[in-house]
Amino acid sequence: MTDTRLYDVTLRDGNHALRHTLSSKFVTSYCEKADQSGVWAVEVGHGNGLGASSFLVGKSVESDTALLQAARESLKKTKLAVHSIPGFATIKRDLIPAIDFGVDIFRVATHVSEADVSQKHIEYLSNKNVIVHGVLMMSHMIDINGLVAQAKLMKNYGASTVVLMDSSGFFIPKDVSERVSAIKNELDIEVGFHAHNNLGLGVGNALSAINEGASLIDGASMGLGAGAGNAQLENIVAASSRESILNTNVYSFLQMSKLVEETYTDKLPRTTSSSTQSGLVGVFSGYAPQVIAISEELGMDTNTLWKEMAKRKLVAGQESMIREIAQDLMNL
Amino acid sequence: MNSTTPIPIAIIGTGNIGTDICYRLLRDSRFKVVALVGRRSDSPGLHMFKNEVDHLIANGIEDLVPFLDEIDGAFDATSAFDHKKHWDLLANAQKWVIDLTPSKIGRPLVPVLMNKIPIMSLQNSISSNYSMVTCGGQSSAPIVHAISSVATGIKEVEVSSSIAALSAGPATRLNIDQYIDSTEGLSALISDCNKVKAILVLNPAEPPVMMRTTVNISAVSCDLEQAKATAARIVSEVQNYVPGYEMVVEPYLQSLNTISATVKVTGAGFVLPDYAGNLDIINSAAIETAVLHNAHNRSMD
Repeated sequence: MTDTRLYDVTLRDGNHALRHTLSSKFVTSYCEKADQSGVWAVEVGHGNGLGASSFLVGKSVESDTALLQAARESLKKTKLAVHSIPGFATIKRDLIPAIDFGVDIFRVATHVSEADVSQKHIEYLSNKNVIVHGVLMMSHMIDINGLVAQAKLMKNYGASTVVLMDSSGFFIPKDVSERVSAIKNELDIEVGFHAHNNLGLGVGNALSAINEGASLIDGASMGLGAGAGNAQLENIVAASSRESILNTNVYSFLQMSKLVEETYTDKLPRTTSSSTQSGLVGVFSGYAPQVIAISEELGMDTNTLWKEMAKRKLVAGQESMIREIAQDLMNL
Repeated sequence: MNSTTPIPIAIIGTGNIGTDICYRLLRDSRFKVVALVGRRSDSPGLHMFKNEVDHLIANGIEDLVPFLDEIDGAFDATSAFDHKKHWDLLANAQKWVIDLTPSKIGRPLVPVLMNKIPIMSLQNSISSNYSMVTCGGQSSAPIVHAISSVATGIKEVEVSSSIAALSAGPATRLNIDQYIDSTEGLSALISDCNKVKAILVLNPAEPPVMMRTTVNISAVSCDLEQAKATAARIVSEVQNYVPGYEMVVEPYLQSLNTISATVKVTGAGFVLPDYAGNLDIINSAAIETAVLHNAHNRSMD
């Protein structure tokens, strides 16, 4: 039995799949079930985190405040968490109100090679009475030594856990175990892992991280998340019960997934030819809606567009470049 | 003083911004670089201009004091924190200052918008302080103005920039909130709309990417054809002082009543590489502002 904790991103990463239409009403009903499940934390908000509702990455139908309020009222045992990217969110406009709101866990996220941008935000939060995680997004885009160095920066700023996000769903289980164990061996910090399902490996990769001693595992009910979706939380629980590696009750997680399944039947993510292609080339899967829409508008093949985006190494938050790249390809 | 006499100036700061300005002004007959001020004698920035600048000062602004009579004004490329001290000293000595830090002390100026909106005007006082705001501010402001001027009932303005990670120095990285705050302030000033949002994304791709800025404006009504025309016109005006400024996605309807457009900034490639369009545009704006301010004040003599 390990002391790995589960971190539920359904109401944050899932908001990508819902095109940021998540309602406070659903947050309430989901959190009431989550609070009974033993899940350690529920992350809530816009897919790109606090303060990210924008023309660039998509407007939220309901404000951060409304969603957080609904969650705060329903979560008694389970912690309330937020994702936050410097460059979108600022301390004054977004972090301070969230602290006042009673958010328990703040995850400060940067592109995997740019951890130093998180310094002020992590330092600020670590002096408050909250839990602070550093998140390295698109973690496949750097070698293992580089990854350890970036994790170390976040640790030095004050993060208690560093979370590796496989934002493109590019990793296979071997990649995950190498990275988790490298950080565990070289740094005294807890490690979390966040999978995407582009290659159908979300749950497998999550188990691989657990077996290497990751202390925090992200998952989403029904995999509700960007692109091909996240590792399915209920399946992580079910599969790990076979090895008795997590002390959790599968049944309560199935109730959460059933709620998602019945509410968002037509929004559930799945691996498609497009998401498999983006996973293989390692492009952020949150771009899928724009890639599909623009390809359709300009009459081009999605795979051609994904490949060119990979060639230009797009990072998250560059939605406005997709049209430019597509126009270049079509010689418009 | 006659209008062809070179403008005598000092440059404070020997980082990327300061050395790029120094390099340009040494090759610009409109200016005379009297002093370059650093804080360490082993600063590579100072070393770069050995034998080219009369006074290479290694111990900070106090050592510039004996030479203040020789200059009309200064470019401050240090930090928002240090700028306050520098400005106190220079204002006392009746000098103008072009502030390249995000201190927000001076009046914001985007050269192409001069006289297009009331607040963007030259100051008559000799000791004037002009703020260059931020790179995202300089690149977005012309487009924000172009679209705002043909829109009615502006509801929301958003400016998002992506820049090469290599071109974002430690100060930008540490003070990313300040960047957002200053850029949003400028957008609000130009559009006269209080609902503004600025976003900054650092892109580490190799080869490094050129700076791109996307402007989104949501309004009750806006004529798309007029927006295309005004945006194209202002881009060509900016090109007079930033040759690498170009439209890459011309205004289009992003959604009902929301117009979007994207510009790209390629650096001139003096001291800095061409992907550092973000540094290039703020330096080009600073030099242009100094020229305009001096022409204005000399003609008043």
